[in-house]
Parts: sequence; C-alpha cells; structure tokens
Amino acid sequence: METAAINTKPLFMSRSHVTTESNKTGTWRYMRPRYQEKTSPCSAACPAGEDIAKIEMLAGQSAFKEAWETILLENPFPGVCGRVCFHPCESECNRKNFDSPIAVHSLERFLSDTSVRNQFQPSFERLSKKPQKIAIVGSGPAGLSAAWFLSMLGYDCDVFESLPKAGGILHWGIPEYRLPSAVLQSEIGRIAERGVRIFTGRPISFESFSELRKKYSAVFLGCGYSRGRSLGIVGETESAIADGLAFLREIRNGGHPSCKGLSVVIGGGNTAIDVARSVIRLGGKAVILYRRRRQDMPAFEEEILMALEEGVELSDLLTPIKIEPYGNQYRLTLQRMKIEGEDRDGRGRIAPDGDKTSEIIVERVFAATGADIAESWYNPPSHGKGWTAFSHCSAFLETGDVPVVYGGDLTNEVKNVTHAVASGKQAAMVLDTFFRQGFDAIESRLMASRVGNGPSLSMEIYMGGRRSARSKQVVPYNEINADYFQFESRVAQPRLLAGERTESFDEIDLRISPFLAMREAGRCFNCGLCNECDNCYHFCPDLSVIRGKNIEDRHIDYDYCKGCGICVVECPRNAMILGEE
Amino acid sequence: MKRVLEGSHAVAEAVRLAHVAVVSAYPITPQTHIVEIISDYCAKGMMNARFIRVESEHSCLAALIGAQSTGVRTFTATSSQGLALMHELLHWTSAARLPIVMAEVNRALAPGWNIWADQTDSLSQRDTGWIQFYCEDSQEVFDTTLQAYRLSEWVNLPAMVVLDAFLLSHTYEPVDVPEQEEVDRFLPPYVPKFHLDTENPYTLSSLVNPSAYMEMRYDIAKDMDAARERFRDVEEEFETVFNRHYGAIEAICCADAEIILVTSGTVTSTARLLLEDLRKRGEKVGVLKIKMFRPFPVDAVRRVLQSTKKVAVIDRNVSFGAGGIFAQEIRAALCNLPLHPPVFGYIAGLGGRDITIAVLEDVYRKTKSSDHPPEESTWMGLQEVQCET
Repeated sequence: METAAINTKPLFMSRSHVTTESNKTGTWRYMRPRYQEKTSPCSAACPAGEDIAKIEMLAGQSAFKEAWETILLENPFPGVCGRVCFHPCESECNRKNFDSPIAVHSLERFLSDTSVRNQFQPSFERLSKKPQKIAIVGSGPAGLSAAWFLSMLGYDCDVFESLPKAGGILHWGIPEYRLPSAVLQSEIGRIAERGVRIFTGRPISFESFSELRKKYSAVFLGCGYSRGRSLGIVGETESAIADGLAFLREIRNGGHPSCKGLSVVIGGGNTAIDVARSVIRLGGKAVILYRRRRQDMPAFEEEILMALEEGVELSDLLTPIKIEPYGNQYRLTLQRMKIEGEDRDGRGRIAPDGDKTSEIIVERVFAATGADIAESWYNPPSHGKGWTAFSHCSAFLETGDVPVVYGGDLTNEVKNVTHAVASGKQAAMVLDTFFRQGFDAIESRLMASRVGNGPSLSMEIYMGGRRSARSKQVVPYNEINADYFQFESRVAQPRLLAGERTESFDEIDLRISPFLAMREAGRCFNCGLCNECDNCYHFCPDLSVIRGKNIEDRHIDYDYCKGCGICVVECPRNAMILGEE
Repeated sequence: MKRVLEGSHAVAEAVRLAHVAVVSAYPITPQTHIVEIISDYCAKGMMNARFIRVESEHSCLAALIGAQSTGVRTFTATSSQGLALMHELLHWTSAARLPIVMAEVNRALAPGWNIWADQTDSLSQRDTGWIQFYCEDSQEVFDTTLQAYRLSEWVNLPAMVVLDAFLLSHTYEPVDVPEQEEVDRFLPPYVPKFHLDTENPYTLSSLVNPSAYMEMRYDIAKDMDAARERFRDVEEEFETVFNRHYGAIEAICCADAEIILVTSGTVTSTARLLLEDLRKRGEKVGVLKIKMFRPFPVDAVRRVLQSTKKVAVIDRNVSFGAGGIFAQEIRAALCNLPLHPPVFGYIAGLGGRDITIAVLEDVYRKTKSSDHPPEESTWMGLQEVQCET
C-alpha cells in the first residue's frame, strides 16, 4: 500500500482562509425579505374565527392538547361544532384547488373526543379579575359563549336557564344521533369548571329581567328562537299540526312519542330533516313536503341525502293549504307550486300552479318552517338611546343604566351554532372594551380583532396573543407553492350504515383514529403560517436565515442577505414577504 | 465469485464494493440500470451511502462536487445528452482536484434521437481534465471502476469509465465479482488530501489572479501526465490481488505486423476474431487496443506503431471537420517521429450501427490496397437511406 505516498505531494489549488464575513453583502440589497405570517382562508371563513391552519399544524405534530386549546381560545364548543357546524372553512380551503379540502370538521371532532378521552384541562390563564359581574339569560351556544369569553377576560358570569338542563337549542333542538347529550354536557361542564355559574330551571320574566339589571353590571340576552312557527292554513289547530321543535324536545327529554303511520313534515330546513329522521327512528313513515325545489332547501345536503337513505320521502313544490279531521286521521290538502323566475338570493320564486291541488290522508303533521322568539320582550329594539348594532349582537350601552346586549339568534342574520358562538364572543369584547376603555374604543377594538378582513373575530387577537402579529391578508391558492405538496386523498368520515342508523338514536358519525387524524392534518397547507419546514434556511444562498430555539426567534441576517427573495418564493405556505428597502 | 451480470450491474457491483459514500444521478438510457440498482442497494442498506436525487445532470455533478469536497468517495453515471449537460462542471471537477468517478455509457448525441453506441459524447469531453478509460467487456468494466478510484484519488483528478451502450451496458456476461475483503486489499479507504471542515473553515476554489492561474493549470497538467505512470502502479497492485492486467494499451500481435488496426471499446473483441482469421491466412496484421484515452499513452502508442507499415484507426465517433478523434490522437502521437507510418482513419458504427468482422476486414483490405490514405477519414458502409418517417 502506498497510501502515505499518495498524500505526500501537495496540491496547488486556490483556497482562502480569510472569512467572507468581511464582505457585508447585505449592502447590495434593495429588496428585504421578512417573516410575515398571514391569515388562512379557512380561519377567515370560520364564523368563530378559529385558527384552523395552526390547529391542523399542531394536530399534524400530534400536539393534540395544544391543538384543542387553540380551538378553545376561539370556541368553547369543539365537540358540538365538530358535529353540527356547517363548516364553511372547508369550502374556502385552498387545498380544494389542489386535490380536496382538509376535513377540518372531522378533525375538530377528533380533537374534542381526544380531549375527553384524555381528560385534558385547558391550561390557559384567566385574565385578572374584573369588578363587573355579568348576568346571561339563556344557556344556548350564544349565552354560554358569552360566559366563556367574559370569564376568560376576568368577569364573573351567572347564566340563567329556564329549562332543567343547560344547552338551549343544542340540548333540546338537535337529535341525539347528531349530537349526543354526553358531548354537550361535557362541554358545558368545562365552561362551569372555569367558574361560570349556571342556574337551570330559572326562567327570566320581564319583571325578573329588571331585577337582573339592578343586581348585575350588564345583562346578555341570548334566549334564542324556541317557538315553532305556525303554518297559518285553514283548519290549523295545535292538535292537528304539531310543532316540530316541540317534538324534538320531547324526544330529548326521554319521551317516545308514538309515530305509527304516516307523518308529514312541512319545511325544508335542518329541523324538518331532524323531525323526519326522528319519526323513522320511532318506527313511523315520514314524508317531507317542501314548497320550493329540492335544490332550494336550506338543510345541509348531507343531511338530506342521509334522510333519503334512511327511508324519508321528499316531495318538493308542494304546500299545505288546508287540514281537516278524517276519522282518527287528517286530510291534508296540498297546493302544487311552480317556479316563476328567481328571487334575489338565487332561489326559485314560487307561485301556486293554478288550481292544481291534491289530498293526502295522514296520521299527523309537523310544522318545521322556522322558529320565533318565545316572549315579545326578547325582541331587540331597532333603535333607541344608546342603541348600537354590531355584526353579531346589538346593545344598549351609554344609557346611564347597565348595558344590555342582545345576541345569538335574537340578532344574528344566520341562525346557527357557530354564528351564536361568534355572537357571544363579540358581546364579550363589546362589554370588556366598554368597561375598560369606554364606548368610543369599541369600534376600533372590534376592527383590530378581525380575522382577515371578514366579519369573524378572534379572542386571541383581541387579547394581543401571537396571532395579532399576523397580517390580515388572506392567502390565496396562487400564493401557495404547490410544488412542495403531494396529492393525498382526504380522510373519509366513517359512519353507521343506513340500516344500523334507523334502529336507534345512536350517533351516526364515528371517530377517526389518531393516525388518520394526523395524516389528514398533515395534508393542511398551513396557509400563511411558518411550520419551520426550513425551506428558507436550505435555499438561502447567503446562509442568512438564522434559526432560533423557538419559531419566534427565526430571522434574517440583514448584514448578508442580498434580498434575492429565494426564501420567499420557496416558502411553501406564504409565511414570508418581500418588500422594498 | 463468477456471476452472470449486465455490464451496468458490473459497474454497480464495483461501486458497492468501493464503499462509495454519496451517489447522485439523473436517469438517462442506457445508463439508468446502473444507478437504478445502486439506489436499490442504498435503500436496502446494502450500501452505506446517501443517494441524492436531482433534477438534472448539471445538478447531479454539482451535488457530487459538494459531497466530494467534504472528503468522501462519490459516484455518478450518465450518458450522451446527460454528459453534455454536465460539461461546465466537468471542467470544475478536475480543476477543483476532486477525484470523482463516473460511469459513462457511450451513446449517440441527438438529433436525430438515437440511444445506441457512439463515442462522440465522451470524446467531445476530452479537454475537461478527466481521466478516460474505454472498456472492452464487463469484467474490464468492473475492474476498471475499482482501478479508477485508486488512480483518481492518487492524482486528484476525476475519472470516467466508458462503456458502449447496450453492447456492454445491457449485455449479460460472466463477471468475477470478488469478496469485499479482496477489494479492500486493493482499494483502501479514501483519505482526502483536503476537505471542507466546519472546525477549520476555508473557501475552496476562490479567485485566482493571472499571477498564479497558469501555475495551477500546470500543476494539473503534470498530475494528468503522472497518471500514466501511476496507472502502471495501480495495475501492478491490481494484478497482485486479482491476477488480472489490462495496460493503458494492449498490443496484440503487433511485433511483426505490417498493418495495425487501432481500436477501442467493444470493437476490439471483434478485431481479435478478425486478427485470428487473417493471421491463419498469413496476413501480417496486429491490433492495438487503446484503453486509456486521457492521459493519452503517447510513448506506448509510439513504441507499438513506429515500426509498422500502416496504421488503420477505427473511430466510432466523429469530430466534424477533423475526422475520427482516435485517428487525430494517433497522428498527433506519431507526427514528431522522424519516420512514421501513414495513418488511415475510418469512421464506422456511428449511432449503434454494427461493426462486424466484415466491416473490419473491409478496413483491412482498403488499407492494404492503398499506399497512402486517400482521405482524412473514410466512412465505412454508407448506404442509400430514407430519413423521413
């Protein structure tokens, strides 16, 4: 071997031991890259403003508790919303332009279930205790959300519920197979554990409302729409036409109303579907009659499809005009409707189709055509001294008397759970700002707390958390560097089979495994957020990306950064920007 | 152990046994089989090596320049357009004194698209400072790959092991694949003469002024020249361990030959058969096989050719305007001898056309029947062909 000899002759080659650091190439720069987290479209689309891109990032790293806490910062009901929210986040998901959107809805439910199974306790602190005490009327999603967020901000809250159980419409208006009681009670329990006092069986009358205004520093009214609307047709009586909501309430309270024979459900919303599917589960036959077309039905498409699978029949362009007793049954006269043009929101405008009528003999009829307030004084006034309307609530503030805030379905244009959460959150911000900074500060605080430029509000931003440093710019798909992602199929929500579903009120949607949840969360682009993928670090030709211990420590060394912008281009998720010097 | 291997896999086996640490390649027919099986070895843990996938041959060699600079043994394989795309970095590799070893499968350059054997791709890189070896069979491919590491690391210049497309790369032949211990006895672990070190940072290949550039080039030239001598030493050591020997050139029956055919690559095997036949018929013919093309074994070539009457060079390549590249090199090697035989250049077998015994015999007859070359290069077997499809 001549290994030694091989290495004896020195090579004559150029080598420099002088540091290149003396050449501050940063002086060549006229463009300056920097880290700037932005807003993900899903979070802007979420009425509750949940930080979805961050939630999925954490879930993908199996930081399930942190992911769950990130939801709780914006929404006290992940278990409920993971089941019944209409998930507009998924419609806006940038990944839909690539393969298919992230299953945010399934993941939210997974995180909630995981928190229950592992008995997670949220670790975030309440802010310092405030002197004001708030009364909240109604323990539905709006009232409890107001209590949750006010409590987070340091206020003592007392919630008054007229029924023996808390939860409002979540408790009595949504069937068990969509939202199991245990899930709801566990979420309410967590709110109570945070120090919110919930008094059930305590109806508030107009008189006792005046008492509340004397005892508390502010009152939040979130009594909801609990009374079903009547149809207003010839022959209508309480015994002839049952209130669909009352029927659902009876079942939730443990009742088993007889559903023998044919039940007709009038309506096209989720309540109509819930009533019809409950009838099927109680052994009856159900037909839904809807006055517009099937495609105009406001019910969730998935719910309609499952109802049909379960044997519910659906007839559109039919409206009842008369009901009359027919032996032990009823004879319902139906008017055939037709479409004449479109109304402003694109639904077909309907009109009676001449005198085309038909008759149907039925066992019972349920009205599910919408709901109203139960007491007229719940109705928020549209004006008055100190009256201010916000996007998700309205309030009497500078009246000299204690502030009163109306929220939830009483003021929301869109009446559903997630908008109710938004209402409770906005009410908490309005009251907190009013107490601490005065009326004039409210508008700007609300503006500053927006998620992106839409109506959604973030409590984390309001409280000055890390999220408040983000740009309001919503990341569009074309700013995602899709070269760094691979096609992956979306997780399918596992469900009971149609045959299994109709045998009981057992929950239909099944859990996904942690493995599937992590894989699904890993599909998320994390639009606008840095997940420390280190692309910037690897691509920087000047070694000017400096990584720290924490994500906040990551920065650019401007002494040497030439401003080439490669880091910004190669950032898969648009968490950087390039600006002029 | 004797195994029946494709030429491509003979390369891969040698790379596996050479303890290569970093491999990078971009697929191109007919090279792909080589790195395909190497990537498989890396994935299965049969090689303790990092396989870097890249988006082009340019990036491939760039990646290896980086890797080799950190002081580890590296490998790549390419062919034709892929080698052409590496061109800039071929110069870089040699001037940066990095002993990278490459398997180069000789394939025709496009257009028209042609994936078959042709030497123009590697020969047109003759000025890039790479050592070049042309192989005749799969055993030689295997052996030369190991030798290339030894030589390359000795003189700190990169080396190309060249094999004919399909005729070698895709043809199965018995190959003696030695045990690891035997290979280790011939090829010691790589000890770099320099390497990047984060503990003692410096910049390699920095700016060089006119006052030093020429000297740097002269240093490379001297080491390339020295590679001729060093290759003899490498072969001696190789023979000690494996009992096989090739030589930078091989002169077959040249001592009394009046006409010597100069060949390279697989054509040599065909020429050996013709030689046997012609000799039986009393023809005084010899064959000179050129294995080492860079550095060109000038003295050895002169010694063999100076006393013969005529030289016929078979070129499976062409440098437009200057003829066959081996013929040019042979002429250059002979021209300063006071008396030297005429050199007949023959272009044959471009783009994978077969060079049969009949073609070579035709070359021999043509050479024998002329006193002087009628032209710089004679193109063998041109036919009327249709190009439109």
